[in-house]
Amino acid sequence: MVSLPETLHQLTAVLGELPGIGPRTAERLALFLVQAPPELTQRLASALLAARERIQTCRVCGALTESQPCALCTDARRDGTTLCVVERPVDLLLIEKSGSFRGRYHVLGGKLSPLNGIEPEDLRIRELEERLGPEGVREVVLALPTDVEGDATCHYLARRLAPRGVRVTRLAHGLPVGGGLEFADELTLSRALAGRQPVA
Amino acid sequence: MHLAHLRLRDFRNYARLDADFGPGFHLLLGGNAQGKTNLLEAIYLLATLRSFRGVGGAQMVRHGAAGYFVGARVLAAGTSDIRLYWSPTARSLTLNQRPVRRLTEYLGTLRAVVFCTEDLQLVKGPAARRRRFLDLLLTQAHPGYLSVLQRYLQALRARNALLKARTPDPAALAGFTAELVAAGNEIMRQRRELVPRLSALTRLAYRRIAHDAEEVRLDYAPSVKAHFAEELNRAAERERALRLTLLGPHRDELRILLDERPAAQFASEGQKRTLAIAFKMAQAEYLTGLHGIPPVLLLDDVMGELDASRRAGLLPLLERAHHASGQVFMTCTEEQWPAELGRRLQRWQVRAGTLRPLPATSEG
Ligand SMILES: Nc1ncnc2c1ncn2[C@@H]1O[C@H](COP(=O)(O)OP(=O)(O)OP(=O)(O)O)[C@@H](O)[C@H]1O
Ligand SMILES: [Mg+2]
Ligand SMILES: [Zn+2]
Repeated sequence: MVSLPETLHQLTAVLGELPGIGPRTAERLALFLVQAPPELTQRLASALLAARERIQTCRVCGALTESQPCALCTDARRDGTTLCVVERPVDLLLIEKSGSFRGRYHVLGGKLSPLNGIEPEDLRIRELEERLGPEGVREVVLALPTDVEGDATCHYLARRLAPRGVRVTRLAHGLPVGGGLEFADELTLSRALAGRQPVA
Repeated sequence: MHLAHLRLRDFRNYARLDADFGPGFHLLLGGNAQGKTNLLEAIYLLATLRSFRGVGGAQMVRHGAAGYFVGARVLAAGTSDIRLYWSPTARSLTLNQRPVRRLTEYLGTLRAVVFCTEDLQLVKGPAARRRRFLDLLLTQAHPGYLSVLQRYLQALRARNALLKARTPDPAALAGFTAELVAAGNEIMRQRRELVPRLSALTRLAYRRIAHDAEEVRLDYAPSVKAHFAEELNRAAERERALRLTLLGPHRDELRILLDERPAAQFASEGQKRTLAIAFKMAQAEYLTGLHGIPPVLLLDDVMGELDASRRAGLLPLLERAHHASGQVFMTCTEEQWPAELGRRLQRWQVRAGTLRPLPATSEG
């Protein structure tokens, strides 16, 4: 059996490390790329390098950005008294798309997960606490997934933030139970935001 | 509800099978190791997505084949087309040509109750068997129960992982405790509601089959006495010492009493067998009452274990099922059984992974 040339084999292996790409797709992509116009692979390669080099996480909110702090954190028109806590940077984009939130954000970077060894110290909770006073935050809206770990993280945050004198709320019910924000459409999401309730 | 068509590809010892079934009573006849139980297993798999033999997908793939396919057409209020494919690297489940995203949307398409020799463990075995029975029945009754159960198990596993840590973070533990309590209370509520009804139905079925004077009673004995959160609070120290969640629905017991004495210790073997069947009959009756249509009954090797008088007691119960446009599949090694069943039954010959209809019986 003839095997792939070494460089092609390596390309396939790297592509296969990407999420959602199985061995067969990886091979198909690799074969496509080595036969595509050189100009395309050139653009792809430089786009990859540039993006990887310039994209960083905002040191204030944890969103993906090219500048420090990010545009959302520096936008004076945003309401700094309301902070929306999300699990991942992509959740922030989902809420922005719904167009129904005018406050600022804080990306937690995960949720409590004892089974995966994720403890409070592994999340950006201290950073969150440090923002409350200086930014004059009055309400923290928790927009975390509705699965067990997301809900437990909400309970945890509500307890931890209680002595800080901020109102802690979470999205109203109506989001798909057990899922992340990506399962909710924009209308559902803006309704859930509008109907947010104090965490019990 | 009935299974109108069954299609198997590379499932156990069936390379290819396409068979049509009407409502009513189907008797699967054949020698040992011909594929009778395998057929029931396939039907049960469609209903619950599990094997009643408690095995995983790999064992059901025909030796040497890449994967199995089990498909069916089910007639209830409407027609449902089910296709299930499993291989070690790929699996798919479609309902009416659309992929099934959530199990709760699928479960209930085909409801089945299986009677098999392992049922004896319901009476003799550990409490986990009886909890699984309750959970399966509640899932068949209300598919939403499964989501709550899964949440509970996730919270339980997370909580146990926290308790294993040298110094569990109390606030994190409280977060998962809140989840455990919320899901746990809902599970207990549903179990508490179900058991008295199940108890009455089991007693009735037992009486019909056994013609005995003993009274059967099922008693729900939750490990939480009154207030889940408070009792967990009181157990906190012991939990930290043992590094385990000590209270909750995962520790519930369903007591089976025969004349108020624990059946596992005091019932005779014959009484235990009868109890196991009565349990399953009660499951079927409960589902029939709830949904207005009887589930498909799958009986594997059950008759051989009963004496003539108990068989005679069970028969009318089975016949009831097929009068109500239900469907019964029953396996049998020899045709010693059951002339009493009457003529309205379809007989099938099972031989080495093939199925052939037999002509109607002529004996009276
Ligand atoms: N994955 C598999 N691939 C091929 N054959 C299998 C597989 N699993 C089981 N078998 C075969 O299926 C047969 C057993 O079928 P089954 O359990 O349905 O028998 P049965 O007709 O119910 O017999 P009995 O009367 O003894 O209960 C055996 O011959 C066994 O080797
Ligand atoms: Mg068998
Ligand atoms: Zn920012």
